[in-house]
Amino acid sequence: MKTIFTSLLLFTVLASSAQTRISGKITDQKGIVIPGANIYIKGTYDGSSSDLNGSFQFSTDEKGKQILVIQSIGFKAKESEVECAAQPLIVNISLSESINLLTAVTITAGAMEASDEKKAVVLKPLDILTTSGAMGDITAAFLTLPGTSTVGNDGRLFVRGGGASETSIYIDGLQVGNAFGSTVSNVPTRTRFSPNLFKGSFFSTGGYSAEFGQALSSALALNSLDMPLRNQGDLSIMTLGGGYTQTLVGKKNALTASANYFNLAPYQAVVKQKFDWGKSPSGWDSEISLKQKWGKAGFIKGYFHTEGGGMTIWQKEPGAEGRGQRVKLDNSYSYGNVSFRHSGGNNWFFSGGAAFSHNRDAIRLDQTPVRQVTQLVHTKFVATKDFTPGFALKNGLEWYVKSYSEALLNESKERDIKDHQFNHFIEASYYFSNRLIAVGGLRSGYSILAKQYWLTPRFSLAYKLKQGQLSFAAGKFKQLPDEKLRVLQTNLANTEATHYILNYFLVNNNRTFRAESFYKIYDNLVTYSGTTREPQKIGQNGSGYARGVDFFYRDKKTVKGTDFWITYSFVDSKRKFAAYESLIQPSFAPKHNGSVVVKHFVGKLKSQLGTSWSWNSGYTYTNPNLAGEMQNKTKMYSDLSLSWSWLPRPNVIVHAACSNVLGRENIFGYRYASQPGAEGNYASLPVGQGAKRFAFIGLFITLSKDRNANQLNNL
Amino acid sequence: MKKLFSVIAVFLITISIVTAQETPYQKVMKKEIATLISTDSLNQLQSSANAFARIAELNTKEWQPLYYQGLAYTFIGLDKSLSLDLKDAALAKAEELINKADVLSPNNAEIVTVQGFILMAKVSADPGSRGQSLSGQVMGTFGKALTMDSKNPRALILMSQMEYGLSKFFGNGTEKACGLAKESLAVFNSQNEDALEVALQPTWGKPLAENMVKGCK
Repeated sequence: MKTIFTSLLLFTVLASSAQTRISGKITDQKGIVIPGANIYIKGTYDGSSSDLNGSFQFSTDEKGKQILVIQSIGFKAKESEVECAAQPLIVNISLSESINLLTAVTITAGAMEASDEKKAVVLKPLDILTTSGAMGDITAAFLTLPGTSTVGNDGRLFVRGGGASETSIYIDGLQVGNAFGSTVSNVPTRTRFSPNLFKGSFFSTGGYSAEFGQALSSALALNSLDMPLRNQGDLSIMTLGGGYTQTLVGKKNALTASANYFNLAPYQAVVKQKFDWGKSPSGWDSEISLKQKWGKAGFIKGYFHTEGGGMTIWQKEPGAEGRGQRVKLDNSYSYGNVSFRHSGGNNWFFSGGAAFSHNRDAIRLDQTPVRQVTQLVHTKFVATKDFTPGFALKNGLEWYVKSYSEALLNESKERDIKDHQFNHFIEASYYFSNRLIAVGGLRSGYSILAKQYWLTPRFSLAYKLKQGQLSFAAGKFKQLPDEKLRVLQTNLANTEATHYILNYFLVNNNRTFRAESFYKIYDNLVTYSGTTREPQKIGQNGSGYARGVDFFYRDKKTVKGTDFWITYSFVDSKRKFAAYESLIQPSFAPKHNGSVVVKHFVGKLKSQLGTSWSWNSGYTYTNPNLAGEMQNKTKMYSDLSLSWSWLPRPNVIVHAACSNVLGRENIFGYRYASQPGAEGNYASLPVGQGAKRFAFIGLFITLSKDRNANQLNNL
Repeated sequence: MKKLFSVIAVFLITISIVTAQETPYQKVMKKEIATLISTDSLNQLQSSANAFARIAELNTKEWQPLYYQGLAYTFIGLDKSLSLDLKDAALAKAEELINKADVLSPNNAEIVTVQGFILMAKVSADPGSRGQSLSGQVMGTFGKALTMDSKNPRALILMSQMEYGLSKFFGNGTEKACGLAKESLAVFNSQNEDALEVALQPTWGKPLAENMVKGCK
């Protein structure tokens, strides 16, 4: 028995002496220790982890040449050959950092992203819905962000001294024609698309990627939802109308269909209006959206939207008696797109699709019927290859067909244009490290109608500091003039802009700070003599600039249960364009702009209370009774809105909102008579708001098997 | 009598499994699972994750090593001492691993439960900005796990925690949350932990159920 014991002991000793003890230290390339690294002999269970000092040790029974593998999150894995010969081995290894897109620096110059997934964002998708004063309009929510100006008699997006037509809007990468509802002059409009369709958005106020073109100032890319969560029905009953949406979800596909109707007549019968309505605005829309999963992460999506609506308004003529001109508008609009994204293996990614927009406005000015039809077809194919985790190359081809026609039906006069545009873009992005990224791009295009070829370079850079990050972007941007001018003169060439943007961005512990300065140069702007309705001698002798700085601060932390943001934008813009004879500050570019948005959750009341205040220093206008152009400015603009969302039950939301609660008389400019009156003075009328305030109450009910589902994302 | 019989049967099966020859894979897995479940130390969790990574590399057809490695990173992602970036990095890793496990063993309620657990950890890393958008997904994922296995005690207790938070938010009663917690604890108590351990099946989560049930009283 004793002998057995002894031999057993001997065996153990032998066995242990045959082991190789491996120890060492793991550091990064600067010599800083890496704890928690995984070190092991390939093909065995033998291994260990580095401790807080980066040290490790373990023993192995393996013999001869072996491969030691070292892995740690955030670093490139390393393999090293070792010789196991029952002698202690000391192996010190330094690992080099790997590019981690989750935490690496991102380009924030000019960009404002709303996303649930990414870090460098200023908004969450839900913010678009819960921002008081936005009334569920996507672009109205963006008007509380830096770089934008509220133009209350228009409603569209005005970015950094640029006109509304200088912004292009995309859904899943495909351009949307006539994204804003048709309206008559000085009656504000809103986006046609419901914010619930989108999971995120990318709003650029300049210096954007080579993927986007034909926009001098700004690009807004909206990304539609992937898969809805569950089968459900959503019912909305509002003071303005109502609607119903049904969602059906399968394993790999989903269908959403909705129909909505609105009519302002009952509301306007109760609440006194300043506009002289012949027939209050009303309209309907219906949508179908289809999603089909393609492979692991790919999708094919289809989206079809069609709507109709109209209004009749009397527009008083300055200096004249009576109700003025009667303007009747009937609009029909359709947009459809089919898009896909797919990963093709080998780090290839493909995306693209085709979109079609059709807008028809039948306008009757007193007794004169006018018909305008705008169509846009956009097809796109993009291939992206990730050569390494830090280097990607994107290549895209696009084909646009744009057409416009206008007809004076009484005189059987009609004119139209049709243009084909071809674009190619290429963009390379390269991470030098997790702290430094550079993106360079080139976009080229050719217009058959303008017979013009163009090439525009884009460049951006971002560097992560100890606190926050710095980002720079520059680029050239081209845009063909408005179709209403091109139809008069088809050989008009591109208008041009050059952007330089410097940005500082800091996110820390639920606080976000963003500061940005910009300089934008305009050239080749369209000029003419006469009036906007009947331009003469159309040329491209315009130019101008816009420069300024803006700030954004958001804080979800300091005040408990409260989320607020503050924006200030300074824009110094002058340009010679349209019928102006000198460099002037355009009416749509107020110098100082600001906003404050506050959201406060009151648990006891199961309510979210919101308020937003937006302000600017006033709009310029020309008083023809005085010498010069744009020599006057309106008093400042200010609007304080309140909203209240109440969740009595998880699937029921009551939302009430009121804009301009203080009832301030905001003036956006003045209209003057075309001829001086008897005393030699041009009579005037202010351009103001449709009503002192606008109030809204809605009830939203979600019907599903899951009793907790709600339409929080529908507010 | 019948009951006694079945108890004996279970007992015998357990004995036979325990005494059966253990493969090196089973041996090392049992050891590492025991370490993972009993630790709170960040360093030890990382070591566990590393150990499972080594095991996974040699046993490419087994879902358990990936599952436990993912679980270890989920626990790391729940550690309050880490910054948001580090939590997110750990949870991204956890997600990657659990999705790999899902490919090896599709429609596995345990894996789907951890998928929901990872989402839950993401919410708890930044509740202010993720709560609204992700909570529905979290509950949907636990719901999916429960349709696969309505008696999964981990899916039950995690769902119970979500329900509890929701009822607090809306000021409703906690009956539903407490009912789920009790159901979960009952399943935990009825299970033969040793047999599950031998089969390398998940057993974690009982203390969660016990605490929850205590809080409900």
